[in-house]
Amino acid sequence: MSGSLLNQYVRTIGLVAILLLVGILEVFEVRTSIYGSLLPFFEWMRQSSWLGVIGTTYGSIYATVEAVHLISMGVIGGTVLATDLRLLGIVFRDIPSETISTGTHKCFRAALIVALLTGVFCAAGVADKVYYMQVFWVKMLVLLAGSCFMFFIKQPLLNSRPHAEINPWIIRLLAITSILIWFTVAATGRWIGFS
Amino acid sequence: MNKDSKWDDKEIAAVGSGVIILGALLYYWVGQGQSTVELLELAYGSFKLFNNPLAF
Amino acid sequence: MINELLLQFAHWMEAQQYSQMLVAGYYSYSWLEATHVLTLMVSIGSLFIIDFRMLGLMLTNVPASTVANRLHKPMIIGFLIMFITGILLVYAKPVETIQSLWFRIKMILLFFAFINAMVFNARLKAADGSWDRDPVAPKALRVGAIISLVLWCGVVTLGRYIPYDWVDCTNTNNSTILWAAGCVEQLSAL
Repeated sequence: MSGSLLNQYVRTIGLVAILLLVGILEVFEVRTSIYGSLLPFFEWMRQSSWLGVIGTTYGSIYATVEAVHLISMGVIGGTVLATDLRLLGIVFRDIPSETISTGTHKCFRAALIVALLTGVFCAAGVADKVYYMQVFWVKMLVLLAGSCFMFFIKQPLLNSRPHAEINPWIIRLLAITSILIWFTVAATGRWIGFS
Repeated sequence: MNKDSKWDDKEIAAVGSGVIILGALLYYWVGQGQSTVELLELAYGSFKLFNNPLAF
Repeated sequence: MINELLLQFAHWMEAQQYSQMLVAGYYSYSWLEATHVLTLMVSIGSLFIIDFRMLGLMLTNVPASTVANRLHKPMIIGFLIMFITGILLVYAKPVETIQSLWFRIKMILLFFAFINAMVFNARLKAADGSWDRDPVAPKALRVGAIISLVLWCGVVTLGRYIPYDWVDCTNTNNSTILWAAGCVEQLSAL
């Protein structure tokens, strides 16, 4: 019975486990010790890795990769807004929300992969600077949480059954959370650029 | 959703993670708003967007 | 002569009180720029979804005209915000921007992107609709979508280049670049 309970509630149990783990890591201040040990890696990224060397030597390549990062951000924003505004009943009201959410997901995933790859290149070029920026770590945390939220929580629920069978308040919660996640990732990214 | 309206795993996880993430992000942005207002008050003496007394 | 006129206009804008306030404000210029960039998600996002639909890359089970019509308003709102913030950004740093080669090329691409959008919309309206449920639009609309994607990627890329000083007036001696960027004083000194 406990085995079937585990299978039935794998996501919920996983979420509780992650929260417990984060709580334990905070209590024992593991985060601060991990942070300290990351500095050599960030310095290596900037000074020795080929990503960092190309980024710092060829400003035009760096700027072009930044532009691709911005374009992929635009595509992410478009797919997220199309899906979530549909879930909130603001756009595409005559098209089933299931159609919009499944139809945009592949494009969202592709744009996210491009954003991640170009983001690594951009970060490598200024790795020794971003290491000390709180806003960079906020962006990474929201990006990680947001990606897990999208791929393990939101999309599986939306794909599991007709949306009319899901509590409308859950749908609204998913949509608003998703919009705020990707807005935060974009805004903190811009803020890194200002710092 | 079951006919007796009991939430299943995906729905519980969605509500739990959604509330936590949304709450954390709102807390973050409200905090940023507060520190921005404080910084502007420090810079200009009162909360305004521009440091020109003739500004809107 | 156009370069001289533009430079005079830029100097005039720079002398305006509100132009100086926008730059001198603690956060004003940053917020303006951030709004301009973040609104890309609305404007370019909507536009790319329409273009991808025409190319059969997404939402292929939704009628193409529906995608275009439903996303038209958010796209226009996004572009309007970007247009207003863009003008204010030029107003805040007029001389730097007007003498930026990348800015000038960006404006040219924007103009062609606008023309392409007009042609695209006219073709969309004129098309008989029999292809609407097809996964891929007719060739003319696909070509318009590809041109749109190329032009807008160019606009974003050149916008990203503007803050960099590689070919600023004071960093180059190339007379063609100096002329194209409207570096009147540096060109006359050559």
